[in-house]
Amino acid sequence: MEEMDHAGRPGENIPTDTQPLALDDERRVKVLSPGMLVFKRFVRNRLALTGAIIILFMFVFSFLGGWLSPYHESEVFKDYAPMNKLYAAVTENEEFRYVLAEGATFDSTAKSKMILAITRGEITFESGGNVYGLEQEGENFYRVTSASVVASGKGIKNQFKLQPIEGFAPPADFTQRFEEAVRAGQKSFVTADGQAFLLRTSKVEAKVLMQADLALASKLIFSGEYSDDFAFRLAAERAMQAGTDAVFTADGQSFGLTFSERGVATFTDAQGATVGQASHFVMKASQVGTVFPDGFAEAVQDAIARGDTRFTLADETGADRLYLLERNAKEYIVRTELDTYQIKIYSTPTVDHPLGTDGNGMDVVTRLMYGGRVSLLIGFVVVFLETLIGVVLGGIAGYFGKWLDNLLMRIVDIINCLPSLPLYVILGAIMDAEKVEPSLRIFVLMGAMGLLGWPTIARVVRGQILSLREQEFMTATEATGLSVKRRIFRHLVPNVIPQLIVIATMTLGGVILTEATLSFLGLGVKYPLASWGTIINAVSSIYVMTNYWFVWIPAGFLILLTVLGFNFIGDGLRDAFDPKMKR
Amino acid sequence: MKRYILKRMLLSIIILFFVAMLIFGIMRVIPTSFVEKKAMERAQMPGSRSYTEWIRILNEQFGMSGNVITGFFNWLGKVIQGDFGDSWKFTIPVTRKFAQVIWDSFWLGFITMILRVIIGIPLGILSARKQYSKTDYAVTVFALIGISLPTFFFATLLKLLFSVQLGWLDLFGKVGRDYLTLGTWGQALDVAKHYIMPVLTLTIVSVGDLMRYTRTNMLEVLNSDFIRTARAKGLPERTVIYRHAFRNTLIPVVTLLGYTLPSLFGGAMITETLFQIPGIGYTSYQAMLEGDIPFTMFYLMFMAVLTLLGTLLADILYAVVDPRVRIE
Repeated sequence: MEEMDHAGRPGENIPTDTQPLALDDERRVKVLSPGMLVFKRFVRNRLALTGAIIILFMFVFSFLGGWLSPYHESEVFKDYAPMNKLYAAVTENEEFRYVLAEGATFDSTAKSKMILAITRGEITFESGGNVYGLEQEGENFYRVTSASVVASGKGIKNQFKLQPIEGFAPPADFTQRFEEAVRAGQKSFVTADGQAFLLRTSKVEAKVLMQADLALASKLIFSGEYSDDFAFRLAAERAMQAGTDAVFTADGQSFGLTFSERGVATFTDAQGATVGQASHFVMKASQVGTVFPDGFAEAVQDAIARGDTRFTLADETGADRLYLLERNAKEYIVRTELDTYQIKIYSTPTVDHPLGTDGNGMDVVTRLMYGGRVSLLIGFVVVFLETLIGVVLGGIAGYFGKWLDNLLMRIVDIINCLPSLPLYVILGAIMDAEKVEPSLRIFVLMGAMGLLGWPTIARVVRGQILSLREQEFMTATEATGLSVKRRIFRHLVPNVIPQLIVIATMTLGGVILTEATLSFLGLGVKYPLASWGTIINAVSSIYVMTNYWFVWIPAGFLILLTVLGFNFIGDGLRDAFDPKMKR
Repeated sequence: MKRYILKRMLLSIIILFFVAMLIFGIMRVIPTSFVEKKAMERAQMPGSRSYTEWIRILNEQFGMSGNVITGFFNWLGKVIQGDFGDSWKFTIPVTRKFAQVIWDSFWLGFITMILRVIIGIPLGILSARKQYSKTDYAVTVFALIGISLPTFFFATLLKLLFSVQLGWLDLFGKVGRDYLTLGTWGQALDVAKHYIMPVLTLTIVSVGDLMRYTRTNMLEVLNSDFIRTARAKGLPERTVIYRHAFRNTLIPVVTLLGYTLPSLFGGAMITETLFQIPGIGYTSYQAMLEGDIPFTMFYLMFMAVLTLLGTLLADILYAVVDPRVRIE
């Protein structure tokens, strides 16, 4: 108790001068205002001072820190990291793929008619009024030709008078060849310039149809710049039928064809550069814009043929890259380590993120700062609400007494009986079910806590006022005829304030604890908003609790320190306001 | 004295009536969409009644659609007969579920209370005797840290230490996985082992209050005149403290304990939930999250009764030990 006695009894501060001072010397008496006395006593209390420093730190950390932090509250951090990802899917092609000649159309009805014709072994088929010719060039390799009527004529007994349709210029030997074919009973004829014609005759009518290449149907998959070039495809696949390396020409250019051991055909142009490949496999890249490296198709097929589950291939920089191959029913899946843009979750502390990142890839320190704002704000608002209601109702009850006091105190009793934590839990569960906005939740929570918390304060205020009411100064205010409002708020309430401050400070700690508990249970403040309790919520996964201490331990200590700080201050304030009660 | 107790009890019953009304009102204020959602969820469970039937049952049970006043009195009439309805989540009568789970909560609370008394009162007295010494500061700081510790944080730290790092105790639950293969003693030991962390948590978090309360009252007593007289008379310090001071300190402390006695049955919702001890707290927590209205209503009423009982007990005890109170 000696600490405050110096302030309490100024008479002891006698200067040790050689000259003794007179009893009424004003230097002997150092007068301090009551506020100053309280302050001095408070500062001398080591625990109280520690508490004040802790709370000051929390404020600086939360409000100034959040403002100074380079990151936002819910900024998500991402980075590139190698990750084994799906790279391509490889399947053996079992369907016909079509390459159309320039300007030709070949609709899907015609395609299905063609397949029907192939299975039936027919060489012509009709679709949509057009007649198509089908020529097998090799196994699973067909050339589709369209046949259109170029000349028709009527006649009898194999004597027809042909009339060419408009825009068709018949070659010089057209009529002669036609007549020869009719006479020989042939179904087609070829003129000197190599153009083939089909012949359809009945007894009275003859039609000449001209054949033109329309499309190629093949089960081979071509890659490279010429993969859609009709002439190239035709020439290349014809050359491939022999199954040996060859040279062929298409579009007036000469190309080389080489087969690998595994039967993959590679085409080179006159300069020897690779211009494409043909194989039975379809390769679908799993990401848009993927360019398969050189020799990828071959490497995949090699691996499939060998039954390997992995192969390496040099990438564009020349470094070896490992690919993993797995079979999935009819499909082969190729995986490789790709640089993936990912959210940095639970990254260990670094200079950029002193406490790492949390499960959402947000900076923990920044979350703690903003969480501190929310926690402190909720604490202060709730305590303000409680104090407001408590002072008004407690003041009324204490001052007017009688039935009003009785009524209000019973209300206090009733509210005191309501179990607050279960009610908050129910409220949280309802707000979860109703999907209330996270920011609105905070307000609802603050309102609920304020409404359920005021009875304590009301009781204290009432008790104080009851004892103050009987004192002489109150009789004096009555005698001087002051208004009731003035008597309550100017004379009674200021005398209650010391007690009130102590209670409010202690309550603050409790409110912050309750809020943290609710947020921890996931029923209070919700993502994306942060509060210290929400941050610790991460430990509901045992894995996080065990491995990522940096996410939840700091938040726990911040709560502990803040509540402790408020309790220290409350304790110190109580002692400072009322030294007699110091214990 | 009899009159005083009777008066207090009557008052408690009146308060309880209004508390019941308020709780009923709160459950009615729950948005209907929430109730509808719950009915929908229930209707979708295999073999359940239909949605409209659930809504009807719900309304019937709690008078949700009818008049608030009549609904309340209907409910109250059943409650007085001890009928709290069937729990939705546990599908048995609420009171039967309560009887199943209450003893776990009681034992947790009972052991905690004993530890609180054993630790809190001696430390409080020690701290008061050596006021402003290093011991006093240490005890004060310890008590305040206990009060300021978030339960969930402390429990998690304990789990990290004892379950993860040392591997001595299980993270959750009341019994281990080979509980059924153990003998009677083994089973008791197994449960005791699972109680260690919850009890430790509850004790540390709650011991500070008693410690500081004891200290405050001890200081008050030590400053009173009869202690000065006892010292002046030349009594040994031991006698002064333990015969004269301690007995007088006991008055308010016993009152405080009387106040906490009913809360032995109240369960510790957070701690039980964190350690998944199937007491009334954990059970109610699950019921509340799942919108099990019958169980929740029961739990809220139960808690209110406990609080009232605590206040009543404290007041009566105070009147018993301190005759001055009775005059009022």
